[in-house]
Amino acid sequence: MLKEILNKFLVLQGVQAAVVIEENGEMIESIKSGITIDKNLADVISTVLLDSRATAHLFGNASLSMVFIEYTDNFLIIGPLAEEFYLAIIAKNSVNIGQITYEMKKNQDAIVSYL
Amino acid sequence: MIDLIPEGKSIGWMQAPAQWIFTHTVRFVGVVRIVIQDGEGFILIRRGTPLFYYFKHGRIELHGRAALDYFNSHPVVEFNMCKYTPEEFAEALRICNVEGESSPLPAESDAPAPGLPPAPRATVPVPEPVQEPIPEPVGESVPEPVSEPVQEQLLEPEEPESLWEPEAVPPPVRGSQKRTWNIFPQTAAPKTPASGVPAPVISPEVILDETDIKIIGQIKKLNGVVAISVFNNENNILLMGNVEIEPLLNIARSMLVTTNKIAPNVDWGSFVHMTLQVPEGNVIIAPYRQYHLCLLTTRTINIGHIRRILRDLQQTGEQS
Repeated sequence: MLKEILNKFLVLQGVQAAVVIEENGEMIESIKSGITIDKNLADVISTVLLDSRATAHLFGNASLSMVFIEYTDNFLIIGPLAEEFYLAIIAKNSVNIGQITYEMKKNQDAIVSYL
Repeated sequence: MIDLIPEGKSIGWMQAPAQWIFTHTVRFVGVVRIVIQDGEGFILIRRGTPLFYYFKHGRIELHGRAALDYFNSHPVVEFNMCKYTPEEFAEALRICNVEGESSPLPAESDAPAPGLPPAPRATVPVPEPVQEPIPEPVGESVPEPVSEPVQEQLLEPEEPESLWEPEAVPPPVRGSQKRTWNIFPQTAAPKTPASGVPAPVISPEVILDETDIKIIGQIKKLNGVVAISVFNNENNILLMGNVEIEPLLNIARSMLVTTNKIAPNVDWGSFVHMTLQVPEGNVIIAPYRQYHLCLLTTRTINIGHIRRILRDLQQTGEQS
């Protein structure tokens, strides 16, 4: 069922992966299209999450609201789902980021309900 | 005298050690208007060569070396770079009674001027252009450091993406209304220079030309941009905005470490930017020439607009 919800992101043209991760960086569930989520990519997602949470704490122990890394071809967005869980989206640069963040927010409760 | 010289075209307000001005104006012709507490002064500059120094605080006026020493006695000064046309420059030279270029430093007494606000240190710049909170000016002779807005946009605003929609943000506060953003924990206060530490020389390789400063100034003017810094691994090179620079750079460098860590594992093209969003605002880092930009913004920033600017900056940089 969780995959079905994550699949809503894949139908957005250019989205290549939607991954639910725990706060320790461990992957819980993922769905992908056109890419392989190998160890390297899992490490990337995990590193960005863990580092960004640590960096956010430099803001007076602030919580991480969103982290967004963009390259010329792809980008990675990670946003919180619930206290311990985060959703990471990997997409091509042509995707409307506003739409992705909207879908992240819209599907947040549904995803959390399956965690 | 300040009121007599031509106004020029403002490139933007910024804060840096006075010495920074001389190493970053090799292509600049104009006046650098300096505000220190409730006094105001200026330096006439022709392509990196200072031709005239002046500072006034109440009834006290300093010229030449005395004014320069006073500028240098502050770790950071706030200044507005105003570009002159040849006609304006000639007019300024006439008003300042500068003949040719032979006397950049009119001989003046080195004796400290009585009555001037004490400088925090005796001499010369500090290691980094650390943001110093600007004291609230008092008295009736408070000059309003009004910068002429640069009308042209860096890039035409495009359709905003709805990631973080812009909201109406009040224009940047100026002069006596300035405040320092204290978004960081108190324990992360900016470093204060240790007295007696030899003043470092700003690297001659650190060159931002007039175009750079103008571009950065224009980004700073965007709604929601609180501060913008150009930095490298060692130093903050330029800061625009009232913010404690060291805590901000700690965050920026931490983000940079993250991008460096993941770089070997991603094949997504060149790094464009990283944005960290927390309830208090956003920190954005992006490559800029051989340096990096760091932006501190409110949550209301139009991130789509910033993204396009950063992408365009990189494309421009790659082409040049």
